[in-house]
Amino acid sequence: MVQLVGSLLKELADSLSSCKVLVVGAGGIGCELLKNLVLTGFKNIDVIDLDTIDVSNLNRQFLFQKKHVGKSKAQVAKESALQFCPSANITAYHDSIMNPDYNVEFFRQFMLVMNALDNRAARNHVNRMCLAADIPLVESGTAGYLGQVTVIKKGMTECYECQPKPAQKTFPGCTIRNTPSEPIHCIVWAKYLFNQLFGEEDADQEVSPDTADPEAAWNPEETAARATASEKDGDIRRVSTKEWARSTGYDPIKLFNKLFKDDIMYLLTMDKLWKKRKAPTPLDWQQLENSGHPQGESPTTSGLKDQQVLDVWGYCQLFQHSVESLRSQLQEKGEGAELVWDKDDPPAMDFVTAAANLRMNIFSMNMKSRFDVKSMAGNIIPAIATTNAVIAGLIVLEGLKILSGELESCRTIFLNKCPNLRKKLLVPCILDKPSLNCYVCASKPEVTVKVNVQKTTVLSLQDKILKERFGMVAPDVQIEDGKGTILISSEEGETEANNNKFLSDFGIRNGSRLQADDFLQDYTLLVNVLHTEELERDVEFEVVGEAPDKAPPPQSSQEEVNSITNGNKDSAQPSTSSKAAAEDDDIMIVDSDEEGGAPSSSAAVTTSTKRKHPDPETSETSTKRPRTDQSAAAAATDDDDDDIIALD
Amino acid sequence: MIEKEDPVISEEEAAQYDRQIRLWGLDAQKRLRGSRVLLAGVGGLGAELAKNLILAGIKGLTLLDHEQVSEESCRAQFLVPVSAQGQNRAQASLERAQNLNPMVEVHADPDRVEDKPDDFFLQFDVVCLTGCSRDLMVRVDQLCSQHNIKVFCGDVYGYYGYMFCNLGQEHHYVE
Repeated sequence: MVQLVGSLLKELADSLSSCKVLVVGAGGIGCELLKNLVLTGFKNIDVIDLDTIDVSNLNRQFLFQKKHVGKSKAQVAKESALQFCPSANITAYHDSIMNPDYNVEFFRQFMLVMNALDNRAARNHVNRMCLAADIPLVESGTAGYLGQVTVIKKGMTECYECQPKPAQKTFPGCTIRNTPSEPIHCIVWAKYLFNQLFGEEDADQEVSPDTADPEAAWNPEETAARATASEKDGDIRRVSTKEWARSTGYDPIKLFNKLFKDDIMYLLTMDKLWKKRKAPTPLDWQQLENSGHPQGESPTTSGLKDQQVLDVWGYCQLFQHSVESLRSQLQEKGEGAELVWDKDDPPAMDFVTAAANLRMNIFSMNMKSRFDVKSMAGNIIPAIATTNAVIAGLIVLEGLKILSGELESCRTIFLNKCPNLRKKLLVPCILDKPSLNCYVCASKPEVTVKVNVQKTTVLSLQDKILKERFGMVAPDVQIEDGKGTILISSEEGETEANNNKFLSDFGIRNGSRLQADDFLQDYTLLVNVLHTEELERDVEFEVVGEAPDKAPPPQSSQEEVNSITNGNKDSAQPSTSSKAAAEDDDIMIVDSDEEGGAPSSSAAVTTSTKRKHPDPETSETSTKRPRTDQSAAAAATDDDDDDIIALD
Repeated sequence: MIEKEDPVISEEEAAQYDRQIRLWGLDAQKRLRGSRVLLAGVGGLGAELAKNLILAGIKGLTLLDHEQVSEESCRAQFLVPVSAQGQNRAQASLERAQNLNPMVEVHADPDRVEDKPDDFFLQFDVVCLTGCSRDLMVRVDQLCSQHNIKVFCGDVYGYYGYMFCNLGQEHHYVE
């Protein structure tokens, strides 16, 4: 223990060996962090991760070896870490941190919680639990070469949800179903198709031509007529895609001709759509099979096999083979089986690759390799060992400050790709105070939500608004109507009868207030309801104070680092499987912008202005992280002159 | 520059290195795949270096260290088993280092770096010196520069550390 005490004060070294800490996540950051904690002298460590080890983890999650593939990350991480210090007391949980077993009391055991997560939902949840238990939280994320660490302490700093994070990008239904213009639209369509055919059918994931597309109608009356027609069936029984597929025995060629010929020909009849756009060209299986296509392999390139782009017939064959494989999988699982899309399941990935490419071809887009489709469909964030190693090191350093009682010296630290003008790759920033309007950590959190009370169901309120948007796990909702009418109960089955009823059925209207509680998170949110009939198409609700979803304008470095470190599941592609089988990598920003931090942070060298939003055109209603109040408040630090604040 | 071979990336490698190939590209991965690195000093800093290089999928890594494993060694780094006291530090680190990635050729050399002749260094594409004396670093730096071998030096002192690199008059890199 000699060296430890040399660098650390004796008191600190002592508290390290007695205190208990929690590591949430045993992936890229988690493995490095566990190693660091053990070598630093932490003796009591709990680690939790719901995932199992995959071969693609092995380039950086060094506590795992090939032989461990398939096993629990938390369990194997514990075993490997124990080798470095057999006397350490490590408890592993192969579980989700959102399991109600891990209640406020559970969290109170720890002096420090460190996140090593890859998704926003879990981060929101841990944020709330740490607020409820009043335990300091070190939050972090990485993506490629970029990374970030920050500290969250109730009452002292911003919580994780003080600044609205950009919401996941979604595409309008008509773009996906009728007028795709980019490969991503075709990929999303293919994932929807997978679910419609093999997985859990979702009304928001329709793949057939959208006759109610307002763009398709020549006049407003026609739109209304089409909308009504598509809702009513007349005497025709509406058959779901899955039922139809089943009726054909999942015949690949029949499926092909419906999706890539018949449906396209239908789209062509909606001529207004093609007035200003290039019209799609349908594919015919027989024609493609007959037409001459090279039998041999295309000239070998030095790329990976997955990086080849096939020709159309190649994707026809891939479509056929994958449908046959998936069909078998379904049969094996038996009656009423549903598959969940998984990018690491070869036929599932093949299917999406093939279907997306066929659609790209139909809509005159250059086709993409399986490698590229996988990136997009799977929300893959590139990852390497070293970035995680740096971030894990910073996490421990912040942790030591916390345990020494030096919270004021804690910082948010960004790891950039390029050095700034002061030649720094690591840029510390002063921690911000809690936002007074925060809908999580304010003393009486409140939000205002615009909905159409006659068209929004109780289930939507629960799932889309309270859970997805406001991060609750098990909401209980009462109407503030003087009677305390219970709208939603977190107890299973109690309010199920309410699910498909509309809010207006309960007397909820413009100005109504709902009290939503999540008892596990010790969180109460007051929801003010504003009734509106003017929401954008495909938009179910709008939170007042935020602009509707739109593609974020190009961001520069620091803000980008922030928004990207929230998790790959928050990237542009909507999650299309109910269990969101997205990449388990640590969060990080996909490096879409060249300016890794250099230009903006350099401007702050001589001044100590508070960090401002780098994009002046973006108002606080943007879906990015708006800074509503930041004037150039001097956050001058008297200690380290390296504490740079402002960006632009 | 590693241009001597055009190593083929196997399916196994493609699966394991997938997430990093998506970051720095296939060509960069192939260059890593063909490179040999010398690492002098397997203390705390050296162990981290070894881990990072091995995980990245280089061709070969030589761990060079004449020191013996002490009680402090096990505390400083995670490659040396607690039971290895008295053994040579490089040799004691070998097994765990190799297990990080069986596709990399990891060697242990118990000699003193100072005793190595010039041509020893010339078999590598990159030389990393940790915790070495200034004289040695100067000597190796000068020698390697002449042969276009990249040199990285570094050391740590408590909360402080440094890294120095000599990449030659001109070098190419991938971001």
